[in-house]
Amino acid sequence: MISTMTNNTDTKAKKAKNPKRTQDFKAVQLKLTEDSVAPHTIYLKEHVVREHTADKPQGRTLLVVNVPPYADEKGITNAFREAGSVQSVQLCLKPSTAEVKLIKKFLPDPSITTFKAAYIVFKKVAELDKALKLTELQPMNSEDHQITTGIKKWIEEYNNTIVLPKVLKENVETFMKQFDENTKKADKKEKELEQEDDEGWVTVTKRGKVQSFARSEKVENKIMQKEEKNKKRKELKNFYTFQIRESKMKHIVSLRQKFEEDKRKIAQIKQSRRFKPF
Amino acid sequence: MVKRNAKTSVSEEEGEAPVVNENGKRAGEDQNKDGAKRIRTKSLYRQPTVNELNRLQETENLFNSNLFRLQIDEIIQEVKVKEKTEKKFLQFFNELKTYLLSISEDGTEYDLSEQAICKKLKVKLPISERLSKTKCMFTFHKFSNVEIVGSYGLGCSINSKLRVDLQITVPSETYTKNDSINYRYHKKRAAYLAYIAAHLSKYEPIEELQYSYISMSESKPVLDFKPKGKLGNQLSVRIHLACESDAYKLHRFSPERNNLREAWLLNENTDNNTEVGPPTPYYNSSVLTDLTTSVNQEFLNEILLKSDNLKQAITLLKIWLRQRDLKVSGHVVSLLVAYFVQAKRINNIMSSYQIVRNIWIALKTSELDTKGISLHKTQEKDTCPSLEVFHKHFPVVFIDKTGYYNICWQMCKGTYAALKRESALAVDMLDNGKINSFIPLFMTPVKPLLQFDHILRFKNFNQIKKTIVGKAPKEEKVNYGVEELPLVIDAVYSLLVKGLGNRADLIQQLVEADFSWPVKKTLETARSGFEEKLSFGLVLNPENSMNVVEKGPPANLPEAEQFRAFWGDKSELRRFQDGSITETCVWEGETMAERRTVTTQIVNYLMKLKFEINPTELYHVCDQLSSVIARKQWSRGSSVLQVEETSLTVLQTFDSLRRDLRQLVELPLDISAVYGVSPVFSYTDPVGPVPRGPPVRPWQRASTCLVKDVQRDGLHTLPDYVPVCKVVIELGHSGKWPGDIHAFRCLKAAFHLQLAERLNKQYGNACQAYNTHVDVLRDGITFRLEISHPKEITLLRKEIENGVAKFRDTEESLQLQCDTVLLPRLRGALHGLHQKHPSFGATVCLFKRWLSAHLLSPPHFPAVVAELLVSAVYLQPAPAQPPATPTLGLYRAMRLLVDFDWTRDLLVLDFNEDMSREEIMEIEKKLNEVDISSRPAMRIVTSYDGAQAGAWSRAGPDSRVLARTKALARSALDYMDKKFSECADNVLNMFVPSYAGYNVLIHVHRSLVPHCWERVDSVPALRPVAETFAEDVIPAVEFNPVDRFLEELRSAYGEFALFFHDAYGGEVIAVLWKPDVYEDKEFQLTNANALKPVTAKGETKYRVNIEAIVEDFRILGAGLVRDITVNT
Repeated sequence: MISTMTNNTDTKAKKAKNPKRTQDFKAVQLKLTEDSVAPHTIYLKEHVVREHTADKPQGRTLLVVNVPPYADEKGITNAFREAGSVQSVQLCLKPSTAEVKLIKKFLPDPSITTFKAAYIVFKKVAELDKALKLTELQPMNSEDHQITTGIKKWIEEYNNTIVLPKVLKENVETFMKQFDENTKKADKKEKELEQEDDEGWVTVTKRGKVQSFARSEKVENKIMQKEEKNKKRKELKNFYTFQIRESKMKHIVSLRQKFEEDKRKIAQIKQSRRFKPF
Repeated sequence: MVKRNAKTSVSEEEGEAPVVNENGKRAGEDQNKDGAKRIRTKSLYRQPTVNELNRLQETENLFNSNLFRLQIDEIIQEVKVKEKTEKKFLQFFNELKTYLLSISEDGTEYDLSEQAICKKLKVKLPISERLSKTKCMFTFHKFSNVEIVGSYGLGCSINSKLRVDLQITVPSETYTKNDSINYRYHKKRAAYLAYIAAHLSKYEPIEELQYSYISMSESKPVLDFKPKGKLGNQLSVRIHLACESDAYKLHRFSPERNNLREAWLLNENTDNNTEVGPPTPYYNSSVLTDLTTSVNQEFLNEILLKSDNLKQAITLLKIWLRQRDLKVSGHVVSLLVAYFVQAKRINNIMSSYQIVRNIWIALKTSELDTKGISLHKTQEKDTCPSLEVFHKHFPVVFIDKTGYYNICWQMCKGTYAALKRESALAVDMLDNGKINSFIPLFMTPVKPLLQFDHILRFKNFNQIKKTIVGKAPKEEKVNYGVEELPLVIDAVYSLLVKGLGNRADLIQQLVEADFSWPVKKTLETARSGFEEKLSFGLVLNPENSMNVVEKGPPANLPEAEQFRAFWGDKSELRRFQDGSITETCVWEGETMAERRTVTTQIVNYLMKLKFEINPTELYHVCDQLSSVIARKQWSRGSSVLQVEETSLTVLQTFDSLRRDLRQLVELPLDISAVYGVSPVFSYTDPVGPVPRGPPVRPWQRASTCLVKDVQRDGLHTLPDYVPVCKVVIELGHSGKWPGDIHAFRCLKAAFHLQLAERLNKQYGNACQAYNTHVDVLRDGITFRLEISHPKEITLLRKEIENGVAKFRDTEESLQLQCDTVLLPRLRGALHGLHQKHPSFGATVCLFKRWLSAHLLSPPHFPAVVAELLVSAVYLQPAPAQPPATPTLGLYRAMRLLVDFDWTRDLLVLDFNEDMSREEIMEIEKKLNEVDISSRPAMRIVTSYDGAQAGAWSRAGPDSRVLARTKALARSALDYMDKKFSECADNVLNMFVPSYAGYNVLIHVHRSLVPHCWERVDSVPALRPVAETFAEDVIPAVEFNPVDRFLEELRSAYGEFALFFHDAYGGEVIAVLWKPDVYEDKEFQLTNANALKPVTAKGETKYRVNIEAIVEDFRILGAGLVRDITVNT
């Protein structure tokens, strides 16, 4: 235990010398419980980008990478409780600067167990500085919060999937209501586009008075095919002598091609089996 | 000028292609480009020469395909004797001949019943003690010539294990008129051979001078030796003795004549030997061979010597026979070809392919056992015996040029049946355009285990031989004389044929009896310890072989008496439902496993009844692995539940559910189709669901049980693992589904709710609706219904580019398509396959169990890929027929896995003959365009793949898993070969995994592991299957803690390690670190996973924190993990 600690301080010294490679990250060990023997090392630094988003405010946000798979928001808050009070913890698969947008999905994305990155937002700027100076973190499990893993977690997960029909029905209804509203809005917007704008332009949409076709790959391909067909119909086939001669030649060529193909195949078989029956 | 160009262009072709490519790239250099273009036009569009046109057309007409022709050319080239060897041998032969002809006549007359001759010659006589009572005097007369005969003489021999046959004709004055009886001829012949052996033993340039008994004939030895030096590696030499044809009149050896006196053979009093005794066709033939050989050889020479195509055809036929290990000698093949030439069915103008094909067709339809053929042209005043006479005395009849000698005198009925069957199979293979039939026809050795469904062996054969000979009738004994093996074969074969009847398509004897020994040793000392090996291979008829009832004739007919006599006490009178009362034998067969042993039961019973051989003396390769496919936890009535019965119960319940689903009312959309997709629906789940009784004290929400978090002694207790059966349903057409994937799924959930409600109201089944599916409980089995709709796939594929909707396959859409569109069709096809071949399901179960036992459960080796691999054994069984027993089905599946060239070829499974040859070629071309390095390790295409050819093998196994599976399969095959040849009863060791080589072993609590009672090594603890079912509450289903643990491990640590586990009750998860975890890593913001800083030589480096990961295993598996051991 002690050796790892010294190791750690050493690392810090190195980091100062070699800032480019480590990107100013600081390494600290994150334990699950007080008696964890081989904890993971997490790396943290202040979250600094050109444009800060609302959920990761400047000066108060700490970026942590290599967060172990079982860590949850509460656990991380616990780990940093010495630095001060944590306003929010955002766990994500990869560090990203953009603001997380919630797309309304009916089926929530399944939670993925893997190493994550975390953005910790402290209440005060000073707390962040304090956090950056920490050499040792508190264990994630505290008296009032135990991270559930293993059988307990799976039982919980399983039981949560079973919902009363009533609840399921409510979910469906609220989602559909919102969806209907959204579509209505979109329709309205489309209708508005159809009106002549200030300069007299009209946008052609699917449902407008002006007839148009669906803009999909299939339809486009169909049109192209039709064109080609028309072109071909105008040609004459097997009419001139040279065409007949060509078609004969084509037969020979196809035979030859087959022959060549087979020869290649034989070469392949020869390579692998060498035609030794015994 | 043009012509010359055209001619040379053929040879130019090979070197050309790369040049064109290269020049094509260098577009700037005009001149060069032009030149290249001209050459190119020449190569494909050049004027054809006459030769080329002929060849192309010839291939179209005379050969199956180009490929076939090229392959024939290659193989002929390969097996041809090298010119160098030929030259060397000629020199060797000339010297040998001179030496042999220098043999001197000493004029002494030896009494062969004394040892004088042996002492004088210093070699032993190659003849058994049993002939010592024959008295005769022998004087050596010099022979005049040594000839090369047989295949080497004709020029159609095969390079490997080449044996040159020499023939020495014994002068007729050696034998006297009375020598033809009682083996006197044979004894003198042996002495003559000894005389030559003695002479040769002083000859320096040869080694390994040995006597040999060939083709089960103990009275007619030959002399084998090898040239010294390099030539000896290429070939060996065998000396045959023939006899001058004027020594005896041939009619003395007509099949009806007796030449072996009963009194002599049975040591009876020699006083009353006036009576002649029964005919001895077998004995007669052994003399006739020597007498007629020169006539037949001359005939062969005349027909074959100058006919290259015929010789090529013979060579091909010999390769074909040798791959099948059929005991038909090259001599017989040559004579058969000669016969068909004489009968004008083939001629030398035909291509070798046509000749071979014609001969196969002729053999397929031939009936040599009832309508024999003859080379002899009958003339008036002919004294030859008629074909009828031959048929009376020989099983297979093919008369030679002289009209007296049956060329097939040694051929057993089994061999002939096999020959006919193989010919028929060969023609089928040729006609099947979808496979490269050349490989199974000529390149694949067909070993007994790959060919038969049931092999009968004898444990102590010498003893059994005596018993059977003792029981043989006297006529038989006299006929066969001292040759006991053919007698035994004949007796057992006839018994098996009669006893098994239509249960077996083919019964073939497998003999290993050829024996060689040095000339200085007596036969008896050399042969102590040597045991002839006889076994019988059975190809079972899948429809009849499992019949439990053997129905005989009605009781009042005279045949009933015969039936009773044959079956003994087993035969009893029974009344059947159709009112008939017949003699009947009934065998045990309550479960499928028992029914598979019906043939074993019959053989055991008959051997005991007829020869008094105990079943313990017999060994059956047949159902060694039946214990693996029996359920260890469940029983119904008094018998253990089998996988087939599990599936059958599920299928019956499913049928009723399907009917009811389609009759549901008050649904917004009708249910148009219902498909089962779980493996259990195609009999391929080794641990399929069984009906469950109502749960005790359920703790439930809505209508489903919740899992209670109960701990006893610090250990969790979980309810029994209950799997669900997945069902896909399709709905009637509607245009109202929303065009947004999330709304679509939401509506699906709404439909689930209604479906659950209606099912509950209309049929009273407990139902639970989820977001993604509905669970239904019926008769104790839980079904999981999922709605499949093509629009969902389309929505997943849709993406908008420049305002144009385009459709691209995504990982998610492909998966959904596999699960909801392709899988239902495939499952149906596999179900059909099982109906057609009842051993299919059990074989898949065995294969899955075996894979899993070696920790290669899905996702390493996906279940569907395992199913497809086994189905290939049934769909493309060439060169054999589909297997009828699971044990040997598994053997063949492994063989396929090992032998198939997965990197180059793709396995095409055409379930209902839906695919045309062109389609297959098209797919092959498309898939072969992918570079070898980025191809999936296995490529399996089915006829149900639609646009996604090879969809099933895309996800796995990867090349390392495949390599490991192949290595394991190879050793399993060797193990089975060894155990089966040792007659070992227990072969379950092949299901024992090795944990060596893994880095970390995670042991989990046994009581929490699903299926832990079904393990191969656990003792059966049977519970009866529930008869009363829960009606209103669905048990906790699909709650598999080990799977969840594995899922988390793989998702979290998949980049560092591989996790292996036995899905059928394994208590150990084996972890293998990927090789790069020990290396230093680069620290990156986006890739810092599990890294720890390490300082070495004043520099900070990053390593994977292995200790922390191992501790994580404990954390993630809290409550499940019992112990972790780290191998160092």
